[in-house]
Amino acid sequence: MSLAATLPATARAVIEARGLRHRYRPQRGLEAVSFSAASPGVVAVVGANGSGKSTLLRIVAGLLRPSEGELRVEVDGRAIPGAARRPVVGFAAPDLEFYDELSCAENLAFAAEARGLPSPRAAALAALARAELAGRADDRVAALSSGMKQRLRLAFALLHRPAILLLDEPGSHLDDAGRELLARIVAEESAHALVLIATNDEKEGRLAGERIELRGRGLGHPA
Amino acid sequence: MPASASSSAAAVWAILRKECRSEWRTRYGVNAALVFAIATLTSVSFAVGRLGNRTDILSAILWIVLLFAALASLSHAFVREVEGHTMTFLRLIAAPGAIAFGKLLFNLLFLGVIELVTVPLFLILMGGPPPAWGAFLALLGLGSLALASAATLVGAVIAQTRGRGALFAAVSLPILLPVLAAAVSGTRAQWVGNPVGAELRLLAAYAAAVLGASVLLYDQLWED
Repeated sequence: MSLAATLPATARAVIEARGLRHRYRPQRGLEAVSFSAASPGVVAVVGANGSGKSTLLRIVAGLLRPSEGELRVEVDGRAIPGAARRPVVGFAAPDLEFYDELSCAENLAFAAEARGLPSPRAAALAALARAELAGRADDRVAALSSGMKQRLRLAFALLHRPAILLLDEPGSHLDDAGRELLARIVAEESAHALVLIATNDEKEGRLAGERIELRGRGLGHPA
Repeated sequence: MPASASSSAAAVWAILRKECRSEWRTRYGVNAALVFAIATLTSVSFAVGRLGNRTDILSAILWIVLLFAALASLSHAFVREVEGHTMTFLRLIAAPGAIAFGKLLFNLLFLGVIELVTVPLFLILMGGPPPAWGAFLALLGLGSLALASAATLVGAVIAQTRGRGALFAAVSLPILLPVLAAAVSGTRAQWVGNPVGAELRLLAAYAAAVLGASVLLYDQLWED
């Protein structure tokens, strides 16, 4: 059974970053940033294009190793190294893609099965229902609009009830109903989880109680 | 079984099933591999007829057909993930080692399917002498394991490079030459009644070495 399956739904998550920095040679991806955040709550990560919002979320997810600095992620007092963060982190980002030849339910059931969740198909359908995508469960991903794909990304992030939810530009491609759904999901998750939202959208930023402002050089000032 | 081992096994199994389902839906590799194998065997058969007791040529043709039929698909196991931008999805649900071993098991299964069609067709069209089945199947099995494990490892290493298509051929062919040499030599030896123990040991040692290197390397492969 996976770590996600053994964690209580209200696992307390803490993220502490000290002098975290990342460099994509030759450019800087993330200027030094230090912060501390704990669940439950919502934190917005804001900054200019190219300031490193997505990079920061990928580092927290364990997908990217920082060039410098320290990041400590704890869940219920246990330090979780980058390589072991999959079970405790839910991640949705614009560049997250699914298998076109599989249906929405099949993609999520595959993810649930690989994560060791009990009843993968039921977990997939429950996550799709939360993203109001249950009616498209058996449609292949190739047939989805970009807005529907964004809902599928949200469903994937919620699939295993993560202690840390990382949402990179979660409102992109969503219509008004989708944005209302996003606000509801963030409100529900923030009752027990730590939600980090990387965004330039003021409305999305207002979903958060705290902000991390990245002072990277952005696109206008190449490193 | 410890929790981490059982969750890794679940991930490997899930990835193997997903690969089978994707292949079944897209026929991405199997159609091309079978068309290549059948076209090559029928062309050679039309051109030179039945080769009878030319066991040196027979064994070389068999392994060249198997190698090239399989390589086109084996090399794409990871390239498809990179080009389809699904690597992040995979990395978020399974450890690199589980991903790689799921892919390796699929590649082995894929090779088995190719051999199930190609080998009987080869025996019928080329008209070789009846094989010594025990040795012949052992060579096919160990040769496939060595081929699949090396191709999977090279595919994983080159997947995120820019010139992955050209790199795969350039890197994998020298790495696969010992497999090809041992398999061809062993296949010929079993036809002429010679012992094949040395070739089997070489193929087994090669597969074990590559699998050992894979265990050490896979967890480091996809760290950005």
